[in-house]
Amino acid sequence: MPVALDLEDIQGLVARGYRGLRSACFLLLGVDEPSAARGFLTRTSTKLTTARSSPDDSAVNIAFTWEGLRRLGLPETALAGFPNEFVSGITAPHRSRFLGDVDGGAPAHWLWGGPSTPGVDALLLVYGRDEATLRRRLDELGTDMTGLSEVTRLPATDLPTDQQTFREPFGFRDGISQPLIEGLPAAGSGAGVVRAGEFVLGYPNEYGLLTERPLLPAQADPHRMLPVDPGGSGRADFGRNGSYLALRQLRQDVGGFWRYVEDATRRPDGSSDRDRSVALAAKLVGRWPSGAPLVLSPERDEPQFAAANDFGYYARDPSGLACPLGAHVRRANPRDTLDPQPGSADSLAVNKRHRILRRSRAYGPVYDSRPGPDVDRGLYFICLNANLTRQFEFVQHTWLNNPNFNGLYDDADPLVGARRPDGTTFTQPARPVRRRFLGVPEFVTVRAGGYFFLPGRQALRYLAGGPA
Amino acid sequence: MPHQLAVTIRAFVQPGLLADLEDVLADIAKRGVPNDTLPFDALPGVHFARLFVLPEAEDAGGETIRPSLVYMAEVDAPVDRHFAELAEAVGGGLDLLFGHCVDYPPTPVMPSLRVTWLREHALTRGTTYYVNTVGRGLTQIRQEAQLREAIEGFLDQAGEGWVGRSALEVRARTQQFVSGRPDLVWASSEPDEPSLRWRYMETVHAVAVPLVGLALSPILVPVLPVWAGLLRWHERREVPGRQRPDQARLLEVAEREDFAAQNPFTAVGVIKPGLFRRVTASTVLTLVDYGLRHIFNHGSLTGVKTIHFARWVFIDEHRRLVFASNYDGSLESYMGDFIDLVGWGLNAVFSNGAGYPRTRWLVLDGARDEQAFKNYLHCRQLVTQVWYSAYPSLTGENINTNARLRQGLFGRMTEAEAQTWLALL
Repeated sequence: MPVALDLEDIQGLVARGYRGLRSACFLLLGVDEPSAARGFLTRTSTKLTTARSSPDDSAVNIAFTWEGLRRLGLPETALAGFPNEFVSGITAPHRSRFLGDVDGGAPAHWLWGGPSTPGVDALLLVYGRDEATLRRRLDELGTDMTGLSEVTRLPATDLPTDQQTFREPFGFRDGISQPLIEGLPAAGSGAGVVRAGEFVLGYPNEYGLLTERPLLPAQADPHRMLPVDPGGSGRADFGRNGSYLALRQLRQDVGGFWRYVEDATRRPDGSSDRDRSVALAAKLVGRWPSGAPLVLSPERDEPQFAAANDFGYYARDPSGLACPLGAHVRRANPRDTLDPQPGSADSLAVNKRHRILRRSRAYGPVYDSRPGPDVDRGLYFICLNANLTRQFEFVQHTWLNNPNFNGLYDDADPLVGARRPDGTTFTQPARPVRRRFLGVPEFVTVRAGGYFFLPGRQALRYLAGGPA
Repeated sequence: MPHQLAVTIRAFVQPGLLADLEDVLADIAKRGVPNDTLPFDALPGVHFARLFVLPEAEDAGGETIRPSLVYMAEVDAPVDRHFAELAEAVGGGLDLLFGHCVDYPPTPVMPSLRVTWLREHALTRGTTYYVNTVGRGLTQIRQEAQLREAIEGFLDQAGEGWVGRSALEVRARTQQFVSGRPDLVWASSEPDEPSLRWRYMETVHAVAVPLVGLALSPILVPVLPVWAGLLRWHERREVPGRQRPDQARLLEVAEREDFAAQNPFTAVGVIKPGLFRRVTASTVLTLVDYGLRHIFNHGSLTGVKTIHFARWVFIDEHRRLVFASNYDGSLESYMGDFIDLVGWGLNAVFSNGAGYPRTRWLVLDGARDEQAFKNYLHCRQLVTQVWYSAYPSLTGENINTNARLRQGLFGRMTEAEAQTWLALL
């Protein structure tokens, strides 16, 4: 029997990316006056967009860092119930190492969220169907805001009116492959559905268990504002209906990316070959600019496959002749290629324990095929998951950054993976002999980031109620 | 090629010298290993090595166990050669470190005296160990990595010049290239096998153990239901630990991880009190030993291909068990593999340890309780103060691919076979 999600309590971002709301802006906030800030949270909790509604005008969601929850007065027992990665945060030194946030991408250089920038306590995600609507919502919230100050504001690029034409800054269609969440109307049933507990706390995950989350003794919630632990302990569940949100501001060197593939595919006479450079770019990504996956259209971009997502890599292309073993999308979601037995149901089951829900928006000028070299543009990478370590961090570390992924030797993710000073190798399987690209430079730099908790609405009200 | 051995040296730390010893270990680690104190790279047969302090602890009966310094290495046989080389090339490091321990000879120490001391402090019994591929020595691993690099470089030179050639032609050109390289002359022959004597003894073991089991079956068969009943009684009665790992310690461990393609894992657990669990743990590890030696000895431990070496060592008269391994990738992926692929096997061993998540029939549940299992491991994980890898950029899968590359370099092949061989690159 499918799980019944409490859609009234779950924030809307879990259920949808608000693609119909073309404009978005993310506000990073600091808590100045906890009690006044809680007043704002109480007022905001009634305006919060939940998973039940499908807004066509505007939407507001809110999330908090661990430090933010502490400053807002969440009881110690709840604070101690959060997992280590959320408590110590995205900038802990060992975490920076395995996330690849080193050298130019190290937190010391970050625009926000780093050790030398003002503290971030909360994240307000605001969406509107157009610029005017968004501005109106932002103004309303700004006027109403008390006890909080704006650390920085992240304005996203408007999505195009026609969804089909959306491109991330490198010029590729993005966000095609998303896990289907059990219990949401869109999921239906079938092999592709992932247990709700992988994205929403307080529901069974892919192990059939409830992921660790902050539980409080019943007396810490005298007004019964929180859901009761579905695990049967009788404790109040601060985590239920919540999710963890990782936000990373990724600068994309669009000019550098296209110059690299152009130079790597020049004809012997030195002239550039547009078709071949696009083909190499597609090999790095694993999909063509239209979104068409290489396993289905290996030779050329066939837009009729643009949204195709029902395929396995091992089943169609075990040695990577169509889609290289190291290509970005083949690493970010390896599908049926994992041990112990690629191509088996076990392989898919392992893969399902490492999925993330992506809710990114681009920033900077919209994609055009002849980008200027020095424009700051990129992605506000946003993902949701119930276990940052097993999901977001695992994907980033074990699949994307790992130079030995998939039996490779020295190949980090060619698009987003961490680089050594001399770059990384990209291996393009071919017959009779693979082609190696050595010293592939960095195209994506982390400019900022943070881990947030996106609470359920009841938990938000409880937080807003302040220390009992 | 030799077979591989798991060496363990343990010595109790002299009272009052623990802090000083930890400073020395920290200083060595800070300089990066190998260094001139611990030049493990000068020893031709050391795959991995580690040094760590087993902190003071209480056993299940509440008795205090003093802190000790442990050296572990995965080496090519024979062990006497390793001790001799260690005493000679790493003598200064041994004196510096084990000088903090009870009854280490006073300086200056002669190498022969060090060897004697090492032999006396080696734990030779109660060890069960796993080797990814039994019989593949360090020299072979290094040579085959060198061969691969040479071939990769050769193929890169021609770049797109290979387009349109047949796989057989590319292979023939590669053969010519390798044959022309005096430093790769070994590549045209098969790697040596472990000694005949050793292989003979292993075969005898492979046959003898089941025969002994068969001979004992008149006793074992009636005992088994009794044991099973006791097991269920214990499993229902024992209280699983609900301890969560300490943040500061998690950080201390994590700060040392994820520098190489592999990581070390070191943990110590207390065997549950009473004879039943002690006997069960020993029996299970005897069976595990058989499985590792004769079945899972070639690249995969029931589907897990990322473990180079692993071992379980009973210490303190079977009151505690140390687990140590060298694995590819991150701790999170390692623990995930444990749960997803070998949970039943780990349950059979670790469920005899105090605090383990509840099992059923020894192998069911247990590790499937993801968070409880991860907490159990985190709480028992030790800081591996000093760790050395002879091939820090190679995963188990890389090493296996390199071996296949060498195996397929010479000899007859069809075009299709040559294509498959070239796909190893």
